[in-house]
Amino acid sequence: MSSGLPCFHVSGISDTVPQIMQKKSLYHLTPYLFVAFPLLIYTVWVIGPMLYTFYLSLTDWDGVSAMNFIRFKNYSRLFRDRVFYTAFLNNIKWIGSFITVPIAAGLALAMALNRSVPGSKVFKAVFFFPMVLSFVVMGLIWSWMYQPDSGIINSVLRLIGLEALTRGWLSDPKLVIWSIIFTGIWRQVGYVMLLYLAGLQSVNTDLVDASRVDGAGAWQSFRHVIIPQLAPITVVVIVISIIDALRAFDLVYVMTRDGPFNSSQVLATFMYNEAFWNYRMGYGASISVVLFMISLLFIFIYLIRVFKTETRA
Amino acid sequence: MTRHKTWYVAAVLLLLAAFVLSAGGQKPPSGAEGAEKQVLIYNSNWSDAAYRKADGTVVSMFQAENPNVKVIHSIISDEDFKAAIRAYLQASPPPDVLTWYAGNRMRFFVEKGLILDISDVFDQENWHEKMPPGFVALSTMKGKQYFVPTNWYWWAIYYKKSIFENFGLKPPKTWDEFMEVCSTIKGGGISPITIGTKWRWTTGGWLDYLNMRVNGPDFHISLCDGKESYADPKVKKVFNDVWAPMLKKGYFIPDAPAYTWQEAINLMVTDKAAMYLIGQFIETAWPEEMKDDLDFFQVPIIDPSVPIGEDAPTDGLFVPSGTANPELAKKFLAFSGSVKGQEVWVKQLGRMATHRDVDKSLYSPEQQKGSELINTADFIAQFYDRDTTPPMADKGMDAFMEFWANPDNADEILERLDEQRKEFFAE
Repeated sequence: MSSGLPCFHVSGISDTVPQIMQKKSLYHLTPYLFVAFPLLIYTVWVIGPMLYTFYLSLTDWDGVSAMNFIRFKNYSRLFRDRVFYTAFLNNIKWIGSFITVPIAAGLALAMALNRSVPGSKVFKAVFFFPMVLSFVVMGLIWSWMYQPDSGIINSVLRLIGLEALTRGWLSDPKLVIWSIIFTGIWRQVGYVMLLYLAGLQSVNTDLVDASRVDGAGAWQSFRHVIIPQLAPITVVVIVISIIDALRAFDLVYVMTRDGPFNSSQVLATFMYNEAFWNYRMGYGASISVVLFMISLLFIFIYLIRVFKTETRA
Repeated sequence: MTRHKTWYVAAVLLLLAAFVLSAGGQKPPSGAEGAEKQVLIYNSNWSDAAYRKADGTVVSMFQAENPNVKVIHSIISDEDFKAAIRAYLQASPPPDVLTWYAGNRMRFFVEKGLILDISDVFDQENWHEKMPPGFVALSTMKGKQYFVPTNWYWWAIYYKKSIFENFGLKPPKTWDEFMEVCSTIKGGGISPITIGTKWRWTTGGWLDYLNMRVNGPDFHISLCDGKESYADPKVKKVFNDVWAPMLKKGYFIPDAPAYTWQEAINLMVTDKAAMYLIGQFIETAWPEEMKDDLDFFQVPIIDPSVPIGEDAPTDGLFVPSGTANPELAKKFLAFSGSVKGQEVWVKQLGRMATHRDVDKSLYSPEQQKGSELINTADFIAQFYDRDTTPPMADKGMDAFMEFWANPDNADEILERLDEQRKEFFAE
């Protein structure tokens, strides 16, 4: 049976269950009744505020004065705003980096640590460790490491004679977003590695052995036998990476507060800034609506794919 | 199985009951209720360690004098407070007393009718006489007072005495002398001026002083109020003729945006930089063992014909207009602004009092020097991000940061900034 409503065993119940429950309509209604309460909470706490945000984005509310309905003025201002395009581009850079580097590195690590070599458990724990840290802690420590004067990165470079490679990692406008993204990648790699380790468990080793017997080299069997079997988990990893890249807030906020002059601005920090620092709630709401639409696009793609595979099964 | 279930259900119900009862007991009593203590809700944003202590001292002194009053004192981090204050003012009832800043920040809320008129407190405590006119003016809008200034501090160029001695330099009085000093220090392999621009606002200090020294404080305040254009030739002159040459000659440390204002102090401590345009609060972050090596001088004069403006940000308290306890709140304000209340800040933090009767002998020689500095000023400004509106300050500081990285683009950056100004102040 395809996924959907839970199955109820009705055999032998007709004697004990009261007459009313046997009515077909009520029987079909029961699952919905179970879902009703959580759905109610979800509507009040998530859907409701979401709709309110849509409404807010059409006003010019500043938190204290009266709300004036100004239609799409916030959006026209948004699409003329340089900072919006900088933030948007930074999110794209983030997405692009997140769906390439952590996946390649995570997969490589998973492949390497999949066998039970001595110490593999320790390595797995070490690589996964960043996931346990809070973003704030991570951001703070990395920003100390990135300090041009006494931070560890530049100090080591100077020590081994590579002074020319030292940079203002968080102060150079062209470099800053990449420095922050790198910290994000450092964290993400462990997570992807874990997902792939789980995925590799479901790879059919017989197929791999068969391909080797047929004369395929290590790389060929990896590329043509293992990777296709990892397809479902890869889809999950890509979706999670995209969502995380769009959600990025903590690292930027802690490391540079979108500095210098918005070079490291991302949509989430831009929205927060405008709504809660500049007290332009309406404008901030419009940014969050745009961010929501972008996320929705990716979520739709994912859901369509999931529904297709489900109905096929 | 049934017996376990019964115990389980009983335990859950007991927990629930206890929870409900304790929650009920924590409801804050209104001021008029019961023979118990009167309650004053005081939210403060003086969150740094030394400030908390001083703030707490004032509260305990007030409670000692008024044993029937309980002050619920909440200290919120400065950044969070700035975001939360709008929520506080709209709560019903709002907190009874809030800390805040003078300048535009106060004017904004007064105009919305969110702050209580406390002119009667000023009259009762005779503050029109007892506080210097500059501070009374800060608290006044349309002839009424809304704000109690409790302490202030000065901004100046702090310098490391040992570096100056090594180069045989004296604190400069004129701008030409200042450029000489910078050039000498730079020649000696040390960055003349350090600054931490990670959170941007330190650049506002340079704008304030350069603009006030070149164009005078009246023009500067008009600019902050949105009445002048950022693309005005007067402003461009400040950027192109004074600020940009300093940047291009390397008088500031490299990679300033990588450091917070505290981290930039490190470069002074390790002799990689010599001077810092900053407020008196640098002393709280300066290493104790090097205390004697730190001194300050007034930002040098560029044009002697221009009136002297200085930044002296003033902290204080106000009462939201929706408060449930206006009389009690005013009592607290009266205490905070009194000699006794202000002396706490003077003694514990080395801040300057706004009340004339505070014992001058409490001031260290250095505080006397700071006091002199402000007394000779013709005008007291509050600092860029307090003198102008928050969104304007946000875009303004972004522009200064952009200029910092591209000193040749001043004209274009200023023109763009002015477009923003027209938008913000037209609303």
